[in-house]
Amino acid sequence: MGQLNLKETTSVSYERAEVKKGYTDFSLRINLDTNNISITPIEEAVKEKFIGGKGYDLWMMWNAVSANTKWDSPENAICISSGPLGGTPGYPGAGKSIVTTISPLTGAPIDSNVGGYFGPYKKFSGFDVIQIDGKAAEDTVILIDGIENKIKVFSASDLPEDSYEMSAALTHYFDEKKPVNVSIVTAGPGAAKTYFGCLNFSWWDAGRKRVRYKQAGRGGIGTVFANKKVKAVVARFGAVSMKSNNPADLDALKQVTKAHAKEINTLDPKQNRMAIVGTTHLIPIMNDHDCLPVHNFKFGSHPESHVIGEDVFQYIFDKGFDGCWRGCSVACAHGVKDFSPFTGPYRGTKVFVDGPEYETVAGCGSNLGIFDAQTILEINFYCDAYGLDTISVGTSIGFVMECFENNLITLDQTGGMDLSFGSRYNTLELIHQMARGKGFGTIVGKGIRKMKAIFAKDFGADPKFMQDIGMESKGLEFSEYITKESLAQQGGYGLALKGPQHDEAWLIFLDMVHNFMPTFEEKAEALHWFPMFRTWFGLCGLCKLPWNDIVPEDNKNTKEPAKVAKHVGWYAQFFSAVTGRKVDSNDLITMSEAVYNFQRIFNLKMGYGTREHDTVPYRSMGPVTVEEYQSRAERYDTQLIEKYDMDISQMDTKSKVAALRQKREEQYELLKDAVYTRRGWTSNGIPTIETVKRLGIDYPEVMEILKKNGIE
Amino acid sequence: MINVDEKKMPWFEGMTIASILEQIEDTQFCSVIRLNGKLVSSPKFSETIVPDNSTIQLLPLVAGG
Repeated sequence: MGQLNLKETTSVSYERAEVKKGYTDFSLRINLDTNNISITPIEEAVKEKFIGGKGYDLWMMWNAVSANTKWDSPENAICISSGPLGGTPGYPGAGKSIVTTISPLTGAPIDSNVGGYFGPYKKFSGFDVIQIDGKAAEDTVILIDGIENKIKVFSASDLPEDSYEMSAALTHYFDEKKPVNVSIVTAGPGAAKTYFGCLNFSWWDAGRKRVRYKQAGRGGIGTVFANKKVKAVVARFGAVSMKSNNPADLDALKQVTKAHAKEINTLDPKQNRMAIVGTTHLIPIMNDHDCLPVHNFKFGSHPESHVIGEDVFQYIFDKGFDGCWRGCSVACAHGVKDFSPFTGPYRGTKVFVDGPEYETVAGCGSNLGIFDAQTILEINFYCDAYGLDTISVGTSIGFVMECFENNLITLDQTGGMDLSFGSRYNTLELIHQMARGKGFGTIVGKGIRKMKAIFAKDFGADPKFMQDIGMESKGLEFSEYITKESLAQQGGYGLALKGPQHDEAWLIFLDMVHNFMPTFEEKAEALHWFPMFRTWFGLCGLCKLPWNDIVPEDNKNTKEPAKVAKHVGWYAQFFSAVTGRKVDSNDLITMSEAVYNFQRIFNLKMGYGTREHDTVPYRSMGPVTVEEYQSRAERYDTQLIEKYDMDISQMDTKSKVAALRQKREEQYELLKDAVYTRRGWTSNGIPTIETVKRLGIDYPEVMEILKKNGIE
Repeated sequence: MINVDEKKMPWFEGMTIASILEQIEDTQFCSVIRLNGKLVSSPKFSETIVPDNSTIQLLPLVAGG
């Protein structure tokens, strides 16, 4: 045991439920107002309908909050679940946790899918899902100890402030001899002072003998965590094997695990090389297809992008096994050792940086005009240590930089900082300010939606222009892909339930490059099945990457190559082997559809979830400015002439911008219509009575909410 | 001679990625390849000259992001 000042305030012993066919069938609730700890059986009907993972989280959340609940209301809950397949060692990507809360950015449910060992350890300790609500009076650490079968709540003081040091200290505190038994969820000082705080989920890297981290980044879950005065949630558990889930058919599980792992091991080196470069291979690919965000999503490529892609990071990443779950053959969670920051509290010391992934490189690199791997590493390091979402940080600062270059904000407002694109030092200073809660960084830390209101009200900035260039929808900052030439991906972002995050639907290449979906109906069909597969991974505790980032060699000869049927078939076998519930590929979609529609109605419950909330900024559809149009003038001119049959010979660029805008905005609205129809929703984007009945989610409260919104 | 997905193909002067793909069936979904380990994407297939003795791997489909 170390010397941390933790004072036990509550301790409950419990009889650990045995995991059967992937489930413990119990939930754990910790109320911080009262320190009451309750363990409750999960009803069979809930299990049947909500499956686990994100489904369980949403069901718990639904029952915890009311329509009036705000992100900082005591009853707002943070729920964490791993799903029935989570915790299968060796199956690629089978160790995920899914975290939900009511988001400070969107006011609606947010979900984030994250690696690390916490989810499986929590489940094997006896709980399919945990719910944390209420607000602690003082800084709190929660321990779920599946070895000693105890839940403990501690008041904490003198903990290291940043997420990295705190997790390392607590890991050794709770199991000095076997740190591999510990996984910890922490936020950081930035989470408490911004609206886009992330959570770090840890695991012990036995090879490097250090704590490693993955982030539940999106939507400010770390902000809610910090607001509840939770410093850390710790899960402790011992040995894990393929038998830990007590699968219905162990032999079948071994077989399908071996098959998928072997395929990843064989094909990843030939395809993406994620075991070596993580997701940084996407930098050159996106750049070459004009999809890499540059200067606040203005442009899609930059001649210097080669210095921030896989060609550089393959040499910078530390060599060794980098799976964020045991035995995962994708093993993409790379990091950099002995990195020496040139700013901030760690200046001049040597640290280990967990990352960067593509999103961080694109969002905090090219999108800010920073083409320097060292600066990107430093941004990545401090965002994680402070508990800040790198996607929201990058996209928000990109917006600030464009406002600065257009004189919407000036040195007077930024505290004298030049925030032109490419300002490396001042970008880092903004991030330090976010963590300290001082200076202009406090405004940036509120996110784009609130910045737009502040800049308009207090600084007199043009709200219309900011609406066009502020890359947020539903209040959440866009993740890092240019969608101007992919209508389907504009829908992938705009129609995503939680806001513009690519984990729900990523259709850019299937649409723009492979041309799988030329018609509205085909795009709508893709915007049905793709999110359903991605939702299913969140229900089961799985990573999305092994599905379609690595593709079978014979996939092109299949009936529907976009669906990667071989892998979907394996997932159905995986589910059947663990749960004993015989399913086929189509069942995966049905399972997801119920939860997906339930989440849409959850948005409605919170005052959102209608057509107007599926709006996206014009920057995601097309060129906002004359400069932007002229940079790709041939492409846009050709479209006006050939696609829209317009005579542009007498038009100046400003007129062309307006003409293209009218057409593209019309297309987006037509896409909405097609998608709503395919999903069984009204033209206002609300699931119909027929749809909720078909999916078996016609609960009384659901029907009441629909009625309140005119659906009967 | 070049090596494409572990199969040998004769090399010729001025050979490009585009000209290689024209000789192979079912490459409509190939938007990215590795040329001697370096990624090359479809907008650059026609302008990318392939040196003799090159190794090329075709990435089958970019579907995930």
